[in-house]
Amino acid sequence: MTKLHRAARLLALSSTVLLGLGAGAKAATPRDALVMAWNLDALITFDPAQIGEVNGNDIVGNVCSSLVRFDPKDVSKILPSAAESWAVSQDGLTLTFTLRPDLKFPGGRTATAADVVWSMHRFVLLGFGNAANLTQWGFTKEGIAEQIKADGDRHVVIKLAKPYPVDLILSAAFANNDASMILDKEIGEKNAKVVDGKSDYANAFFKTGPACVGPYRVTKWDSNDVVILERNDNYWGDKPKTRRVIVRHVPESGAERLLLEQGDIDVARLLKTEDLTAMAANKDINIVQTQMHGFTYLVFNGTDPILSNPRVREAFRYLIDYDALGRTVLQYQGVPRASLVPEGAFGALDKKEGQPFSLDLAKAKALITEAGYPDGFTKKMILSANNISPTIAQHVASNAAKIGIKLELEQMADAQLFTRGRAREFQVQLVGWGAGYPDADSMISRHAVNPDNRVEAKLAQYPSWRAAWQSAEINEKAEAARMERDVGKRTAMYHEIQDYMMHNGPMAYMFQTVRAIAVRSSVKNFEISPFGVDYGSASK
Amino acid sequence: MLIAILKRAGSIAATLLGLLALTFFMGRMLPVDPVVSIIGEQADQATYDMVFHQLGRDKPLITQFYLFVRDMLHADFGNALFTGHRVADDLAKVFPATIELATFAIIIGVVVGVPLGMLAAVYRGSAIDHVARVVGLLGYSSPTFWLGLMGLIIFYAALGVVGGPGRLDVSYIDMVEPHTGLLLVDSLIDGEYEVFWNAWRHIVLPGTILGYGSMAYISRLTRSFMLEQLRQEYIIAARAKGLSKMRVIWRHAFGNIAVQLVTVIALAYAFLLEGAVLTETVFAWPGFGRYLTSGLLAGDMNAVLACVLIVGVIFIGLNLLADILYRVMDPRTK
Repeated sequence: MTKLHRAARLLALSSTVLLGLGAGAKAATPRDALVMAWNLDALITFDPAQIGEVNGNDIVGNVCSSLVRFDPKDVSKILPSAAESWAVSQDGLTLTFTLRPDLKFPGGRTATAADVVWSMHRFVLLGFGNAANLTQWGFTKEGIAEQIKADGDRHVVIKLAKPYPVDLILSAAFANNDASMILDKEIGEKNAKVVDGKSDYANAFFKTGPACVGPYRVTKWDSNDVVILERNDNYWGDKPKTRRVIVRHVPESGAERLLLEQGDIDVARLLKTEDLTAMAANKDINIVQTQMHGFTYLVFNGTDPILSNPRVREAFRYLIDYDALGRTVLQYQGVPRASLVPEGAFGALDKKEGQPFSLDLAKAKALITEAGYPDGFTKKMILSANNISPTIAQHVASNAAKIGIKLELEQMADAQLFTRGRAREFQVQLVGWGAGYPDADSMISRHAVNPDNRVEAKLAQYPSWRAAWQSAEINEKAEAARMERDVGKRTAMYHEIQDYMMHNGPMAYMFQTVRAIAVRSSVKNFEISPFGVDYGSASK
Repeated sequence: MLIAILKRAGSIAATLLGLLALTFFMGRMLPVDPVVSIIGEQADQATYDMVFHQLGRDKPLITQFYLFVRDMLHADFGNALFTGHRVADDLAKVFPATIELATFAIIIGVVVGVPLGMLAAVYRGSAIDHVARVVGLLGYSSPTFWLGLMGLIIFYAALGVVGGPGRLDVSYIDMVEPHTGLLLVDSLIDGEYEVFWNAWRHIVLPGTILGYGSMAYISRLTRSFMLEQLRQEYIIAARAKGLSKMRVIWRHAFGNIAVQLVTVIALAYAFLLEGAVLTETVFAWPGFGRYLTSGLLAGDMNAVLACVLIVGVIFIGLNLLADILYRVMDPRTK
């Protein structure tokens, strides 16, 4: 045997040892567990008062029940949840929820109105970003004790600052996000810590797993690795079909796809267009989709003398080939929409009215000429280095170059992009935003309304302020629409605002976000909606 | 002797402090605001100001650095903003995952790389030399991300001989106690042999791909060191004295490159312990490299500084170990 042969044999033997020992039966997911893969990078807390990211909201929505919830089939409708009913006083200033009698925490204790009140008080008192879901409706740290009170064990009485339309306030403050999720007051008070002389209302304790009355409870969370939920056997609603839900951190789309195709996971939550397209013909996999209430859009900084011109901003709306992008990079990611109110929300323009633009370079050129810039100009665009943003930005820049506008692209990490946006440190920004509730008010109250445009006002929670754009007329119209209790009139008011903003506003909305999830066909009834995914309905 | 030890300890402490100071002040220059990572993009200014204060960002920079070093000396790295957990707890999870992967990889790198480099040097210009060089070149030039995905497609998806991304199949999660955090070790301690084999199935591919890179590096340098030795007159003299070829190669030539190889292997291991971000991403491996990168992108200086400290300790520790081994292996350094 030559030395070469000996070396080759050694190599073969090593491979056999490595792989041969590794060989074994391929594992399928356990029958009583729903296994999902997702990117859990952004997950930092499970405390409903603090959650800001999509995956945290999604998971907590299956751990904590709210007083009311959105109808998953039509999110503009509100359904009872932990509250079996509600009543509004004649003057429209008092809202009373009646709790179900069978609400129990995983430990077996019955949840009462005192738990609801404590949970909502801490939501405001902790003062995280989510608190705005209540404070924007007049609830304050100072007044919350009087504004939200218990009446016996089953009634929660809410004093409203103004007689808002009931559907709006139910949607925005109580079904929305996490504001009315019910936490266990006893456990919370026992585990509260004092930080800087103030109670943390058990934030440090609940952030690894809140004690709630929902269908599941968090039993394990290793950051950037895995989250495990176990069924809450005391859950008041339909018993979840699977005993466990396992969410694995898989940050790479190609790896998620392989895991799904091999049957090592049941659901892939973060797949790129190319992987979804490749799996579309696979009969073992279903792709379920829903239109989210979020957008990808361009923001133009109004402090820039050129970009403050409405004609220039309108020109950008004609530089986007909505259909071509929708068919290619944005397939499974977004649908063209130029109105700032997402389709599916109360008060939204219909599909056609909400997207009147198309690629039209001649018109764009005419608009910048009319604005006084026939030879174009140069601007910087900042954008996320993630996902599809670079492709969209290159598309816009390429079309802009054809009419003389030079867009210099600067990619960055999301945290940096948001910091720059909040500080008004940009000329053009490509970014995204998700509406908090399915009502036109959600977007208009932040993207069109700007209460104070001064730099020192620092109203960074308003994208309109970030864009240094303000219209006293729109502020008034938005407030009037918010208070209008006649459904028909309110709808018409929102239509008018949308139409104005589409042509004059500081943002060019391009796409309404789509959520596409790949699910193995062995999983039945995996239900998704724009404001949540119901894990408990899925069975295998 | 005591003075030498004290001098060495002082130099190590100064190096680590300098490293931390550099990272800290450079980190403060990053245009990433960690407050936004905590409060969310939609929060108002009052919330922003509150968290800004809670993080101590309103204090002078030097005070912030002093407080960080003081807490660090009490083994308190604070909370990681991007995971919400204590940094020490996070590191206790991610670092063993990386140690396990890096150790697997370095074993492959050494076991295959050293003999391959030796063979290539001894049979210089032969087919085996060419094969070794091509294999090494591929190891250097193939993008890890691509290799990882190709490896998964072939060995996991098509052949089914290895596990998929992650450290275990879901059925085996939580089946062993985390005694060391090394799943291969913990499963043996608990007598959970099925978990051991499952963990093995999952580590084989990322470990081999990472090990391939190390192997390329080690084999190339081994070849180069050996060629240098084989040209020496003492080798010719040894052969002229009638010693066998194998004895000359292994006893004399290899004996003389062993000290250099220790440094090479220690460095290769240190680089692996820093974490391999791309490999960890493709294989959903919850390791140190991804942790450090995510911390950096989120502007999370608590996590970043703790990681930098660990990397510093690894490099200094392995250098120290290499120095000690020098003294043991080479009498001339005593």
